[in-house]
Amino acid sequence: MSALRQLPYRQIYLALMLLLAMSLIASASIGTIVFTPLDIATFLGEALGLSPTGPDVLNHNVFFLLRLPRVVLCGFTGATLGVSGTLMQGLFRNPIVEPGLTGTSAGAALGAAVVFVFGGTALSFASPLATAGVPLLAFACSFATTMIVYRLSTTFGRTEIFTLLLAGIAINAMCNAGTGFLSYIARDPQARNITFWNLGTFTTADWRGALVVATAFAACFMLALHHGKSLNALMLGEEDATYLGVEPDKLIFRLIVINTVMVSVATAMVGVIAFVGLVVPHLLRMIRSADYTFLIPASALLGALLMEIVDIVARLVIQPAELPIGIITALLGAPFFLWILILQRRAMGGSYG
Amino acid sequence: MADLAVRLLNVSYASNGTQILSGIDLCFRPGLFNVVLGPNGAGKSTLIRIAAGSFAPSSGKVLYGDIPALSFDATTLARRRAVLSQQIELSLPLRVEDVVLMGRYPHYRDAPSIRDKEIVSRALDLVDMAGRRHQPYPTLSGGERQKTHLARVLAQIWDDDDDRDERILFLDEPTTSLDIHYQIHLLDTARKFLARRCTIVASLHDLNMAFDYGDHFFLLDFGRLLCEANGAGSIPKELIERVYRVRAEMIASADQIAYWRFRL
Repeated sequence: MSALRQLPYRQIYLALMLLLAMSLIASASIGTIVFTPLDIATFLGEALGLSPTGPDVLNHNVFFLLRLPRVVLCGFTGATLGVSGTLMQGLFRNPIVEPGLTGTSAGAALGAAVVFVFGGTALSFASPLATAGVPLLAFACSFATTMIVYRLSTTFGRTEIFTLLLAGIAINAMCNAGTGFLSYIARDPQARNITFWNLGTFTTADWRGALVVATAFAACFMLALHHGKSLNALMLGEEDATYLGVEPDKLIFRLIVINTVMVSVATAMVGVIAFVGLVVPHLLRMIRSADYTFLIPASALLGALLMEIVDIVARLVIQPAELPIGIITALLGAPFFLWILILQRRAMGGSYG
Repeated sequence: MADLAVRLLNVSYASNGTQILSGIDLCFRPGLFNVVLGPNGAGKSTLIRIAAGSFAPSSGKVLYGDIPALSFDATTLARRRAVLSQQIELSLPLRVEDVVLMGRYPHYRDAPSIRDKEIVSRALDLVDMAGRRHQPYPTLSGGERQKTHLARVLAQIWDDDDDRDERILFLDEPTTSLDIHYQIHLLDTARKFLARRCTIVASLHDLNMAFDYGDHFFLLDFGRLLCEANGAGSIPKELIERVYRVRAEMIASADQIAYWRFRL
């Protein structure tokens, strides 16, 4: 580990990119139908018009209409959650924060569920109105819940950890009740599936969802990259950040908007996937640095990488069925969360008297 | 903004019904080491933070040249004005050079230039921390942390040879809780910046240290400006005795340097 701490950021990005590329290939090949890397290369060659389409239309379709959009959606969702965890931990100046905790994800799920259920036939998800409506309402609810939790738990730029946890519990409970109620009264079998909302899954992946998530992520990520310095400065405290030219009120508002846009879009498409946003920045701090100019790009790569791995596991453990991905992230993430909480308690030891 | 004379016009500040500053009128002397004196609770820290543009006074104005401090663009101001504050986060999970690089944040957008990195190195040299640049900040002693932050604020207002703009450095009780070595080191290093088109405004507790290093003095008590003096000798002894509630005695040593001895 200590050798890694001396590496230039660029080499770590490169290593993460290589691992991500490997995980993408693995994720594209593993499943009910296994595609060898050679198959994948052939399919891609055909799609690019480099070679004529082969006779195997079924496999071709499985690859392009089911497998590939899933791999893409999964990668961008992981990147979204990783970057989101980093931004929120910087904003709240607390390493236990992630979108699942602050109600960002639960709010988005509620907003999306409203459109899915009440949209009914008039707003079926295939219609253009619903394609816009789902992310919009998901964003609105998600923004409201995040703002409420932020305002309740943060006074004078300091986050009160217990208030944060309690506010998060309350907001999550309210949103989950709303989503549960909507699933209960829903007619659409898809919307009825409550595990879809609360445990997240990539089984419904299609190209539209993948591209919507990818676009939202790309736009938000470009904006987020400029805020690494400001998040570092914020570590000094709001007043000292001001002396370095940071305007905390503007920064906080911008970051909550950026973060909520990408998380709400991803959540609307795949449901709530908890703990990825928590784990990713922590691992990066352990292997290299807490510098946000490094964490933001690196957490996109590591988030995507972890999500691909978890998705592969989700597809393999109970073949031919598959686990909702949120079960696995919670199973691995929750103990990690407790561990960080214990570390924080120890660090604060004295103040407990 | 070539002229960076900092003026406070009839500045008052009250917080939760407590009057902290009342009707302060003053102008910090450009190019000099200005010292704000006063007992605990006199309002020194509030005065410095208001003068640095951290927050608005309840009434009155802070002008930088002829322009109100709060109307500056935050980044433009940050290139010319740095503040070493009293309480700084103890658990920055960064390395020393990362902390010092923060001083260059107002000067670049996405990635530091070669020049920014060079300034970080020179600032670290200036505070004798070059050997510890890769060390994690939380492993430093209190004195080394303060040196790191001094390097950070100096890097922030580091002068270019081709840049004739004036700068201003605020030090809010910078020597509190430092041992004598670090106190002298910090004030010596700060004084070096006077020759580099920089004005210094510091609040200090140790009167002998203040008289040694300061050029121009402002004495506060109960949020009022009692006395402004150019040179330590111009502050009436009786005033110091009354404000600090001590008896003061001047002791001149053989080489004509005067020291004060204080007793209750």
